[in-house]
Amino acid sequence: MKPCISPNRVAEIACRFSEFKSVNPLPLKVENVCKTYTVKNGSLVHAVKDVSLEIHPGEILGLLGPNGAGKTTVISMITSLESIDQGEIQVFGHSLKTATLKAKQKLGVVPQEIVSHGFFSLKEVLTFHSGYYGIWNNQDRIQFLLKKLGLDSHQNKMVKQLSGGMKRRFMIAKALLHKPGLILLDEPTAGVDIQLRTSMWEFVKELRKEGVAILLTTHYLAEAEELCDRVAIIDKGKIKFQGPTGNIIRELTRKKFEVELKSAYTGADLSGLAKASSGHIISVEMKSNKLFAVVDSQLSLGDFLFHLNLQLADIMDIKTQEGNLEDAFLAVLEGKNKSPQAAL
Amino acid sequence: MMVPFLSLLNREIRRFLRVIVQTIVTPLVSSCLYLFIFGVSLGDKVQINAGYTYLAFLIPGLMMMTLINNSFQNSSSSIVTSKFTGELEDLRVVPLSSQAILWALGFGAVVRGTFVATITFLVGSIFFYFQKGFVLGVAHPFELIFFMIFSGLVFGFLGLAAAFWAKSFDQLGAVNAFILLPLTYLGGVFISIEHLHPILQIFTRMNPLFYIINGARHAVIGVSDVDIGTSIAVVSFSVFVFYWVALWSLRKGSFARWS
Repeated sequence: MKPCISPNRVAEIACRFSEFKSVNPLPLKVENVCKTYTVKNGSLVHAVKDVSLEIHPGEILGLLGPNGAGKTTVISMITSLESIDQGEIQVFGHSLKTATLKAKQKLGVVPQEIVSHGFFSLKEVLTFHSGYYGIWNNQDRIQFLLKKLGLDSHQNKMVKQLSGGMKRRFMIAKALLHKPGLILLDEPTAGVDIQLRTSMWEFVKELRKEGVAILLTTHYLAEAEELCDRVAIIDKGKIKFQGPTGNIIRELTRKKFEVELKSAYTGADLSGLAKASSGHIISVEMKSNKLFAVVDSQLSLGDFLFHLNLQLADIMDIKTQEGNLEDAFLAVLEGKNKSPQAAL
Repeated sequence: MMVPFLSLLNREIRRFLRVIVQTIVTPLVSSCLYLFIFGVSLGDKVQINAGYTYLAFLIPGLMMMTLINNSFQNSSSSIVTSKFTGELEDLRVVPLSSQAILWALGFGAVVRGTFVATITFLVGSIFFYFQKGFVLGVAHPFELIFFMIFSGLVFGFLGLAAAFWAKSFDQLGAVNAFILLPLTYLGGVFISIEHLHPILQIFTRMNPLFYIINGARHAVIGVSDVDIGTSIAVVSFSVFVFYWVALWSLRKGSFARWS
């Protein structure tokens, strides 16, 4: 059979793709980065080992991990707060080691801890900050951001007079002054109420639509599941899993079915179902006229009912419980994933 | 390239003007007290070389002492306060070069130091006018401008270096109390070197502040314990040395936030 695309055409497309990549470098490329600290007794602690990440334009990558996993160290290296012991970090093709200022010019950072700016008003801080990025007159952008984030009526207040939530929003405004193509959000909603959190995530979604690439760390896994296109799970300084959010949930979580029958189940032998379903059905048990099943996330309800030889007429009610990112996250930390770069 | 530098300089100047009582008024009050007690009240009892009064001898010394202290305080307190509020991490994240940070904070120190020193000179001139009946002029104005700017930079950079390494306000206070203050008082603010014991004279000649204070004294009243060329050379060399010390400290010191 004749192939629909010739080898020459494949080579041409590959060549054009590599040209495209060199003309449009990735917002963030972290390659085999390591960070080691010497502790008081002289021994070495590997805070980050061989971490590699990539973010594409208009993509949100969630960097998730337990406390002390190395998330903040990775963020600190990208923001130049920590030096890079080994490896390379590039922001839009600019190396943080050799073209630091050009890389920083494309980067917006919302740090985990609030910066208080004791002496100045919001407007003054934003004006100074614009200047640090080489923008002398940035009043239009400042007013746009203040309005967008609901801070325009507070612009002449001292930063220290703002509430915690307002300070968070102010830090986002500060990070967006120079229209960066890459934003690092390090726990931006820590300690923020639900209403403000929701509005902040809406704003993050808008940024994604505008093509801004976002690296997000958060402990709110439900939000990460909703927002992030891909996640990278880090533990003890190593990336344990990296891939599309949907894939990680599919691969590492289980579904639960609760099927209420009109009468007690008398079909197939329940203990033999796991084998019969090639392992897709993990367990099934019967309690009065209800079936409780745990299956892998790839098995559909239809297939499950087929394995049990059940008809819709036999069923009174069905409840399903899908796996979520939290389950997948815990599975990764417990070492249940097979590959660190699964389903890229 | 100039915009980041000017923005940070602007921030620095506004910062010290925001707390004007602490940064300008307090040092001025202590300078005025020095002028009144040493220059006016005790001045007639102090014998110095013929040709000028003790008050005229004291004014340039006090000016420079004020300038040195305020330059050091300005740059060092800017950094340690930023460590406390987290603003220092902000400076590390934005595309400001190390050179832009150092020169902006250095010139911020010069502006505050020069501002307070100039007012000290004006207040001293008023005392002088009431004492002698005529105005105290400046013999070499360009020399005075040179010594004010360069000395401000020297101690601005020293303040930065100390602040980048400091892990607490106490450590910074120790630099001020055990290094800066003794050097200032033994640098010839209040007395001429010829009144010191010969061994102390040797130590005084090793003190860069001696050259700064005598340079300013030459600029104002036209006399000095040391050759003006030597003073200019020492101050210029000190700017170079302390700039590199501050740059090294900026690169190797701590940006971590104090909790």
